[in-house]
Amino acid sequence: MAMQSTRRIALLICVLLLAACASFPPNPPLAQYNPAAGYRFDQLERGANSDELFIIVSFSGGGTRAAALSFGVMEALRDTQIEWKQRKVSLLEEVDVISSVSGGSFPAAYYALYGARIFDEFPEKFLYRPIQSDLLKQLFLPYNLVRLASPSFGRSDLAAEFYHREIFNGGTYADVIKRGQRPFIILNATDMSRGTQFSFIQDQFDLLCSDLNGIPLARAAAASSAYPGGLTPLTFQNHAGSCQYQQPPWVALAAKDHSSRINPRRTARAEERLSLTDEGAGRRDYIHLTDGGVADNLGLRAPLTALTSTNHPWSVLQMMNQKKVHKLVIITVNAATDPATQRDKTPNIPGLVDTLTAAATVPLANYSFDTLELLTATVRTFNQEARLIEGCKKLAATKGEQCTLDIPTPHQVQWFPIQVAFEYIADSEERNWFKNLPTSLELPHSAIDRLRAIGRRLLSEDPNFRKLIQALQGCLPDAQQAC
Amino acid sequence: MALEYVTVTFPTRRLVYIDGERSGYTNEILRVDTGTHLFTLGRYANYAPASQTITVTETTVLEPLEIVFTKKVVT
Repeated sequence: MAMQSTRRIALLICVLLLAACASFPPNPPLAQYNPAAGYRFDQLERGANSDELFIIVSFSGGGTRAAALSFGVMEALRDTQIEWKQRKVSLLEEVDVISSVSGGSFPAAYYALYGARIFDEFPEKFLYRPIQSDLLKQLFLPYNLVRLASPSFGRSDLAAEFYHREIFNGGTYADVIKRGQRPFIILNATDMSRGTQFSFIQDQFDLLCSDLNGIPLARAAAASSAYPGGLTPLTFQNHAGSCQYQQPPWVALAAKDHSSRINPRRTARAEERLSLTDEGAGRRDYIHLTDGGVADNLGLRAPLTALTSTNHPWSVLQMMNQKKVHKLVIITVNAATDPATQRDKTPNIPGLVDTLTAAATVPLANYSFDTLELLTATVRTFNQEARLIEGCKKLAATKGEQCTLDIPTPHQVQWFPIQVAFEYIADSEERNWFKNLPTSLELPHSAIDRLRAIGRRLLSEDPNFRKLIQALQGCLPDAQQAC
Repeated sequence: MALEYVTVTFPTRRLVYIDGERSGYTNEILRVDTGTHLFTLGRYANYAPASQTITVTETTVLEPLEIVFTKKVVT
């Protein structure tokens, strides 16, 4: 009897020791800050991809629904042939940046690692696979249950291990750097304490004095898709202060602008950077990352900053000032839904779960709406410049030839904002079907097929995509017609 | 969105650096976000002043802020 008790206690101690040993894998420190190395936009080979036609694509959150919709758009971009620089190329080959969040980060990460192989491998590896069930199986393995008892090992760490092994074949950012080609693919998570976007690029990891090279894509995808509640945040060590990193000059200037309030967005970006490099009392030893959708469920905020600020790791505004960009295409792939509810059919007070779900999803949807409006306003601002100058010239000309004005104009760019979203499905029955798809990491095969097809169709129906194709003498074949 | 317009003037065509980053050329209208920025020119260092820290705000495309650099007088 006493022997049995001793064995049980010994077993319990072993289990507790094992649990205590389980911890998140450490992110490697950066020995020396080097702006000419690492996963950065300006370190990638342009190859045949020209800056004149600059294409940014954003993939939203929404689990497998978002991944399949994004994949469908990628297939359509691959199949779209354009005439550019005296050669026929696929529009996908001209994509310069992909910014992704949550479910959209899975095809983005796979494309970063394996390029065109995604079209042969990703459907079976991810889209048609019951990822959610597979994750649950992992969760209930006795060994994993013990590891999950550790305070520094969570369900997302387990998910990251699964993605690393089963989806991304052990790929790390070192492999992405080895490919060294555009598009620059940015997986976005959310810095839980600051509520700001945290991007998996070396410019971001410089602040932590950490080397992105050694980080698996699976871990980036897991952080980007750490759906709050179901999945835990992921922890990263902050090695700030150990790599001789210096903030760029704009950070101190923008922080000083705090009191004058002349550009709170820029100031907030500077303060976020400073919070990560703080070596004083406010030092943040660990950074906890949750789903990218918490900060921006469209993956569009970073591109918007790149379009409107010269203080950005891949500032498009700088490129416009240097007259490098002539046509600017921004494709937003938005898998947002709007599930039907019976709430307003009854006088009953909505329950706790219903209320909490609304509290979590309504601000997210509203913020996404405002982000899209911000993109529209940005395009309008740029387009109005030329109209304003033209208007002044016309007005002056009415006063006589001697009044003709010669007003200098900043470099003008042709904008093509393109939106792929279920709300643009014309048929209400079909639209409702897509808008009621669940957010999950597994969907029926038929739903995946329909999502891939609708991504292609919505892209081809977008009025600005049609204008672009016309401008580029391009063609997107449909089921009936080849190019 | 807070977009501003500046013209950095210099007798010859030079690269303009805004906050240490290559951002276009002299004597052209450049776009920049609202706020305080550091303006310098590309080589050679025969210009004055060596740098200018300027708060850019309330400009329009018709009235860009003019930031003047001159050739340094060698004495």
